[in-house]
Amino acid sequence: MAELPFNLLLVGLLSASVLALGSVRWKRALAFAAVFLICALVAGAVASLQALAYGNRPAVDLSWFAPLPFVLALDRLSAYFLLLICTVAAPVAIFAIPYVARHYDGRKQSGMWALLPLFLFSMVIVVASDTVFAFLFGWELMTLFSAALVMVDGADGERRRSIFTYLLMMHAGAGAVFGAFLLFLPHSPGLDFASLRASAPLLTNGVRAALFLLAFVGFGTKAGIVPLHLWLPKAHPIAPTPVSALMSGVMLKTAVYGFIRFAFDLLPAGPAWWGYVVLTAGAVSALLGVLFAIAEHDLKRLLAYHSVENIGIIYLGLGAAMVFNSHNAPMWAALALTAALLHSLNHALFKSLLFLGAGAIADAAHTQDMEELGGLLERMRVTGIVFLVACCSIVGLPLFNGFVSEWLTFRSFLAGGELHSVFAAIVLPLGAGVLALVGGLAAACFAKVYGVAFLGRPRSDEAAHAQEVPWAMQAGMSLLAAACVFIGVAPGFVLNLIASAVQELIPGAPAAGLSGSLVQLLPWIAASVAVICIFWLAVPRNTRVTSTWACGLPALDSRMQYTATSFSKPLRKVFSWAYKPDRTVQVLPLDQPCFPASISYRSVRTTSFERAMYRPALDAIVAAAQRLRSTQTGNVQVYLLYLFLALVAALLYMRFA
Amino acid sequence: MTLTVDVIQLLLLISVAPLLRGIIGRVKARIQNRRGASVFRPYADLRKLFRKEDLVPSTASFLFRFCPVILFAATLAAAAFVPVLHASSLLGNTGDFILLVYLLALARFFLVLGAMDGGSSFGGMGASREALVSTLAEAPLLLGLLAIAIVAHSASIASIVQWTIARQPFELSPVHAFAFVALAMVTIAETGRVPIDNPATHLELTMIHEAMVLEYSGPSLALIEWANAIKLTLMFTLLIAIFAPWGVAASLSFFGIVIAVAAFSVKMAILIVSLAALESSVAKLRMYMVPEYLGVACALSVLAVVFTAFAR
Amino acid sequence: MGLVVIAAAKTLASSAVFLFITVLLIASAKRTITCITLFAAQCVIITAQIVAMACLRRSGEAVAVAVMVLLVKVVAIPYALLRVSTGLKVSPKVSSATTPAQSAFIAAALILLAFAVVQPYARDFALDSQMLAAATAMVLTGGFLMVSRRKALMQVVGLLVLENGIFLLALTTTFGMPLVIEMGIFFDLLIWVLLVGVFIFRIRETFAHVDVSRLRRLRG
Repeated sequence: MAELPFNLLLVGLLSASVLALGSVRWKRALAFAAVFLICALVAGAVASLQALAYGNRPAVDLSWFAPLPFVLALDRLSAYFLLLICTVAAPVAIFAIPYVARHYDGRKQSGMWALLPLFLFSMVIVVASDTVFAFLFGWELMTLFSAALVMVDGADGERRRSIFTYLLMMHAGAGAVFGAFLLFLPHSPGLDFASLRASAPLLTNGVRAALFLLAFVGFGTKAGIVPLHLWLPKAHPIAPTPVSALMSGVMLKTAVYGFIRFAFDLLPAGPAWWGYVVLTAGAVSALLGVLFAIAEHDLKRLLAYHSVENIGIIYLGLGAAMVFNSHNAPMWAALALTAALLHSLNHALFKSLLFLGAGAIADAAHTQDMEELGGLLERMRVTGIVFLVACCSIVGLPLFNGFVSEWLTFRSFLAGGELHSVFAAIVLPLGAGVLALVGGLAAACFAKVYGVAFLGRPRSDEAAHAQEVPWAMQAGMSLLAAACVFIGVAPGFVLNLIASAVQELIPGAPAAGLSGSLVQLLPWIAASVAVICIFWLAVPRNTRVTSTWACGLPALDSRMQYTATSFSKPLRKVFSWAYKPDRTVQVLPLDQPCFPASISYRSVRTTSFERAMYRPALDAIVAAAQRLRSTQTGNVQVYLLYLFLALVAALLYMRFA
Repeated sequence: MTLTVDVIQLLLLISVAPLLRGIIGRVKARIQNRRGASVFRPYADLRKLFRKEDLVPSTASFLFRFCPVILFAATLAAAAFVPVLHASSLLGNTGDFILLVYLLALARFFLVLGAMDGGSSFGGMGASREALVSTLAEAPLLLGLLAIAIVAHSASIASIVQWTIARQPFELSPVHAFAFVALAMVTIAETGRVPIDNPATHLELTMIHEAMVLEYSGPSLALIEWANAIKLTLMFTLLIAIFAPWGVAASLSFFGIVIAVAAFSVKMAILIVSLAALESSVAKLRMYMVPEYLGVACALSVLAVVFTAFAR
Repeated sequence: MGLVVIAAAKTLASSAVFLFITVLLIASAKRTITCITLFAAQCVIITAQIVAMACLRRSGEAVAVAVMVLLVKVVAIPYALLRVSTGLKVSPKVSSATTPAQSAFIAAALILLAFAVVQPYARDFALDSQMLAAATAMVLTGGFLMVSRRKALMQVVGLLVLENGIFLLALTTTFGMPLVIEMGIFFDLLIWVLLVGVFIFRIRETFAHVDVSRLRRLRG
């Protein structure tokens, strides 16, 4: 009986996909596919809640279909991430119903509905896998299905390059993950996680360090930590809206899951420097992510950079937890890990909501360029309100969910000051400074986003005639917004679920955690703020609508408003070291610089990583490939020579090695 | 009984906030050889504004009317954290400094949104500058408070105060000294006082806060100005509570409360007069010197944090 | 008498902290006049410290040193430097190679370095580690000021801060040098400041600026 909801999830996802394929012949099947998908996700949420609350461990053995052991089983960590997938994917699926119907027709429609459940299915396999083969199988499928979903919108020109970058980096990352497991397997009696776990204490320090670094790079590529984030701002903006919501909100979290599985479960009790590596990566990602986001005016690209930032915040929590673990402070390690886990869920909720909102804006105003938007709140009230909720959440304002996890991260950094090691007691509290700076920058960035896109006057005709999106899209977004506010005001429920998962990973972790004070306080603050607001609005007042003060001019027009560029200018100037733009000013005609007919200005921002890291690496690979080309003569005899030499070398190796 | 005092001190904080503004204005006027307005003028201003009608720009959305009240409510909630008369407060016993700082951030976020809703360039300009200042002020503010919290082994504001009372007065620890200078600098930036922002200016090149509230009028403006005054009072009270709480009522007797009120007034008077003297003696900083100013505050707060590890 | 002893003990205990703050502020100050004032403030703190020591140890010699520090470093040298800086009629800025925030962070790093370096010595010889760190930090920051500031006057201020640090180092490790040597050093310093003051005026007259980084043609 305990396995029923989990089985329903798997069967439901697969049958939704099959039904969608069948819809090429039978139109109704599409509606059934959507219903099946949503029901399956609800069943999945039930399964994960059961596992978290009662410790059920549903397991499905699918080894009959695979050449190697293939077992899916939910422990509490898996269940938590399954919960994350299901709670985010269900509203996204609701949003997708009108979205897909509006944007695609015929075969593409069924293609989308067939691929979406499969993409979710692959992520479910990743988080639920209990064997190495199942994990790697799901990991690879996840990349392929997501790329396929991106390609539904076509793959030409710039899009092709972006998808290529995505696939290339994903496979480089997958290579590292495969490498980590391959290095691990010879030391382990079996292919399941339990035997890996059992053999971990027997490894030498060198092997452990290599394993950790491989896992860090591999999962870090998928999660998008700096400098491995390059694919994120390329792939997310070109995906269809529900897909980019899932990629940013959910898929990145599977990488976080993989890293937690590796660093806290399979290879526990690492030395302190592992933690500092993760902390540094987190701090750099968080800071650079938000700085790049501030300079961005394409809504989806901006959100993609914010994913880098939030992954950085999650890694800050993970790194702190690892440092605490190495200093034998399980209570604080639990606090930091709770922060990271909760922020994963929170980010999944508000980031997918933001992407859905961006998609809704693009549907209504036909652009993602913030400089063309403005005044949307009065035209799209529901979208406007839920987008505001998402903005407040990602900024980490109290009464919204982002605050709870950032608060936990702050508290764990504060606890770092109590450690005996002087180095740890200096570094961890300073991490709080980074987090505060990042929080401030994020607030500035989302004040810009919301102020420019939703407030003020419309900056284009398209924005002025924007219409609210269909009700199902509103419903999907509202569900996510409600979840954000629920966790923000009453975090106790989710924190209890996380505490049970954390106890499995960190022996000696307390059941309740240190978050009691916040859990008590938030509802009171929420209630009093609400009472004051209601009171203020209930008091009758004389209100008169006038025009905006225009310094005595007849009227302002929309071009006189502050734009996104001008809003972010002071911050871009202060942090100019992070941008280093290439600016070119061209004055035409060239021979008359004093009487120009036209002046054009172009500012290109290639991130310094592209210039300093990727460009030389790429050049080196191309050069090496050029050199290798000379071995390919096309002459059959030369190839025979290669074979012969290989044979001789193999024999020599057999004899002397 | 404790609860009653908690409520009374919150009401006290809210009600004296405009008075503090009046006193600062009066002291500044005296330093500049003017007579100055009555110290009660801010109350008259608020009364006048509350009676007027609310003017709303035709392009503004419904959020425009929400922003002032959210700003006020969040500031009020933050004010409920700071102990004034005794070492406890409504929310400060369980609530910590992080929540306090983030409630102020909530208030600021909505003020910035309200400013951008007017659809003029002034609002955007003020919002953009406020974003710059508050972004850079957040790190030193949190780090400074964090250093104190590490030394006091507690994050809740009331227990920090209790810990400080138990210490001997007049013995400076480097942590407290660095944190105090950093927090004092940040307080000036956060509350928009003179080297960072000039509350009296209406010159578009220089203004930050005034540019943000340019479109507000009547009761909305009153609410914003009142919240702003509360914020100033609350930041000063926080400084007093963390660095020099001696004199607060140990027991809740009538005599104890009277002494606490007197001690609080003296300490507040010292802060106010020094602020007025500072405002009269220095010029406003150029916009792009503000990051330098806050950078110095940041260096000080980092030192404070580092010294918590060295000095134990 | 008890009250005086307590006051003296508190002064000794917290003067290092004030010195740290003056060091940071001197590093981040934008005007030469601010720097000179802060230097005077630093010397006031040192004077207070010597007086406190004199109270605790009941030594008359220390009082004499305190009076001399007061006269020379708090009154005479700052007065002379202020005269020079107002008399020069050049820009009041320190014209530094680093921005104020960068200087503050560098000074903070120097303070940390000083603290990390002196801690083992303080432990071995049972000395006040904060005071030792403050003295070392003053030496380092004085050096940093001389390196990074282009105004000739700021080189003087840097050297004075450095000398303050050395003086404080002597005070904390050996409880002061013999009175005669102290007197010699003070007069040396005074004469030196006067000479450099005159010299800076000469530079200004000859080159119409006091920017040290532009005095390159002096090499042979």
